[in-house]
Order: sequence, then structure tokens, then C-alpha cells
Amino acid sequence: MTDAVAMTNERNQMFRDLFSGKTPKRVPLSNPATQDFAIQYAGLDLAECQWDLTKLEPVYEKFCQDFVTDTYPGGSIRLPSHYQILGSTPIVMSSSGFMQHPEVVGLLAEEYDEFIASPYDCIVEKVLPRLFTELNGAPGKVAMTLAKAMRAQSDDLAYLGTIRAKMNAKYGYATMMGALTEAPFDFMADFLRSFKGISGDVRRYPDKIAAACEAVLPLMIKKGTLPNPAMLGYTFIPLHMAPYLRDKDFATLYWPTFKKLVETMAGMGQNVQLFVEQDWMRYLDYLYELPENTIMRFEYGDPKLVKEKLGKKHIISGFYPITLLQTGTKQQCVDKAKELMDVLAPGGKYWFQADKSVINFEAKGPVADNMRAVLEYVHENGTY
Amino acid sequence: MDSKYYATWEEYLAEHPELEGKPEHAIAPKIQKYEDAVFVFVMDLLL
Repeated sequence: MTDAVAMTNERNQMFRDLFSGKTPKRVPLSNPATQDFAIQYAGLDLAECQWDLTKLEPVYEKFCQDFVTDTYPGGSIRLPSHYQILGSTPIVMSSSGFMQHPEVVGLLAEEYDEFIASPYDCIVEKVLPRLFTELNGAPGKVAMTLAKAMRAQSDDLAYLGTIRAKMNAKYGYATMMGALTEAPFDFMADFLRSFKGISGDVRRYPDKIAAACEAVLPLMIKKGTLPNPAMLGYTFIPLHMAPYLRDKDFATLYWPTFKKLVETMAGMGQNVQLFVEQDWMRYLDYLYELPENTIMRFEYGDPKLVKEKLGKKHIISGFYPITLLQTGTKQQCVDKAKELMDVLAPGGKYWFQADKSVINFEAKGPVADNMRAVLEYVHENGTY
Repeated sequence: MDSKYYATWEEYLAEHPELEGKPEHAIAPKIQKYEDAVFVFVMDLLL
């Protein structure tokens, strides 16, 4: 057995232990930096590398060589080729090469009933042509566009998959599968009604929102289902809108279908990782109700309170403030990691991740050195 | 999921009687795979 295979086996066991509620050999850790960061770190052009993926293998080689982590770093589902072919308005490349999500409205308020009657049909017939200009036209043109876009994305993901396999084989990362879905309320907000639109709908059409969330729940479950629930991995659910809702609107509009989604995933034997964006401290009692060993990666809030209220039942992660990597000294950055580990690691059920992703790299800035120091500290001092 | 743009194998087979008697064990997973692939592609556009 090679060293890399042995490391993969060890890391896989750490995550199996973590996800099943056992204390792993040491605190598992993940590099918070993204593919965007990795490309800039390698000194290459962000836009060019996302179009020409053949340039990415040396990018990942350097990234993996320089930063210790237990999980494959980087990755991306938002590569530009298929979005360009589709005439995308919700995901566009900025002048600096970052893929961005402007505020868009894919579903009009007067289309709620149509959506509730058949969400997927409404998505295909109304939402996609509105958001993707090349899907709005003659049927033949739309069919050809869809075929080209799917082929482009399939080729891109396959290429990224080969790089991932090479890096896993060389650096011995945990081999985890992932699926992505959303809380029904967030799905209705993000690309369909928009932040502004759903915020008004909460007051004007609360019954429509509740019905739409129920209607779209089966799609969210299907989207989040792994090919084989027994696989090592998790369904990733980023949570967006709850901190911007009043408590009573959260209780009636957000929570019921979100809870059903997580319970259904857990009932199938799948792990669920929530990215608890913004500040959810007023909802901790709700989060406690979710199935045991739900992984919760927090952005903001009180780590001590979270450990106290949720830490015996759920797996806690996040909280490490990436802004400190930009503003702090190396010692301050390491001290912060130690502080969080002292609070969150005892008793297990802890995965070291940052509060958000690091996407930007400045050659003369401190982020890379500080991040390397933090990851090495956690790796070397996280043994139980 | 009830939609005119997504079919389970059973729904697909009902619409395609020419497949009666053909090796279902080989055909069904392939047809279902591409039904699911398009579903995932479409939904990923909105996530």
C-alpha cells in the first residue's frame, strides 16, 4: 500500500467516525480556499484558466503541495462555458474573471399558481427562457443550445474529475462524494423571486410561498440525493434567507419544508452539511431539532453557545474568520485557530472549516502565508 | 415528480411500446440515467 492510499484510508476513517458521532483520530480540516484562489496563487489568469482547463493541473499541483488539508481543495460547479452557451443572466463572468450572481427574477409573482401546480414544468417553460437568453427562441435553436451546453459542462466536469483523481491519488485526500441542494424557501428566493421579490412576497403572498415550498420540496430532495446513500459523503445545503426573516415568518414559511428536506436526507442514510450563512443564533433551538449528526458549518455567531446547545447532538464546523487571514499577524491567526479548537474540539463532533471561502489572492498580501500557518497548526495539534 | 419533462422508466416504457421484449435490464438504467442527468443539469442552473 502506498503512503497516499494509507492516508486516504486514514482520512476516510476520520470522516466516517466524525459523521457517525464517534471521536475521530484528530480534528479533520479543510482548506477554505477555492479554485479561483488557486489559479491566482499559481500566477495565472483567472478567466483563461476557467475556459482552458488544461492549465489547471499544475495549478492544483501547487495548491495541494503548499497547503495541508484532509479534503480535496477547490473544485467548481460554475465554469463559464455552458453559461456562455446558454446566454446566462444569473451567473456571469466579471471583468476580473470571477463568476458572479447578480440579482435576477426568474419567476413573476403572478406565476406562483403555475409554479405550484407543476414546479418543474414551470421552470422549463417560464424560468429558464427568462434567465437564459439562448433558451428563449425557436424550439430547434433551444434544443441545440441545450445539447451544446450539457456537452460543455459534462466535458468540463469530467476534466476536473481527472485532476481530482490524480490529486487524491498523490496527496491521499478523503474520497467523499457530494450532492448539492437548497432549502425550498431559499430556492424560491435565489434565482426565482430574488431577495427583494421574496421579501415583498412574505408580506403579500405568504400562502403562495408556503405552497410553492411544499411543491418544490420533492425536486429539492431528488436534487440532493447521492447515487448511493451509503457512500462516504454528504449533501451540501447552503442556507441563505432565514436571518433576514421575522421569527414568525421563519417558523411558518422557511422551517417546515427545510426540516422535511433534512429529515428525508437523513432518513435515506445520507449525511447533510448545512452552510449556516450569516447569524442563526436566534434559531439554535430549531437547529437542535434536526436529525442527529447533522453537520453545521457556521459563518457568524457565538461558538461557545453553539457548542453548548448543539455540540452534543450535531457536528459543528466553521466560525474561523477568513478576514483575519488578511488583517492579522501569523501568530494572531494561529491563536484564533487554537481558541476555536479549545472551544469546539473537546468531545469530538468538530470539523475545522472557515466561516466562508477564500476566493481572492494578492501576491503581496498575507493571506496565503497565514492560511498555511493555520492549516498546519490544526493538522499538527488536532490529535484527540 | 409529475412533469412532462421528466419520466421514470415505467412512464417512458409506457410511451415507447417498441421496447417491449427488449433487454429491459440494459435499457432501463441507461434511459433513466439521462433523464436524471438532464434534471440535475437544469436544477444546477438555478442553484
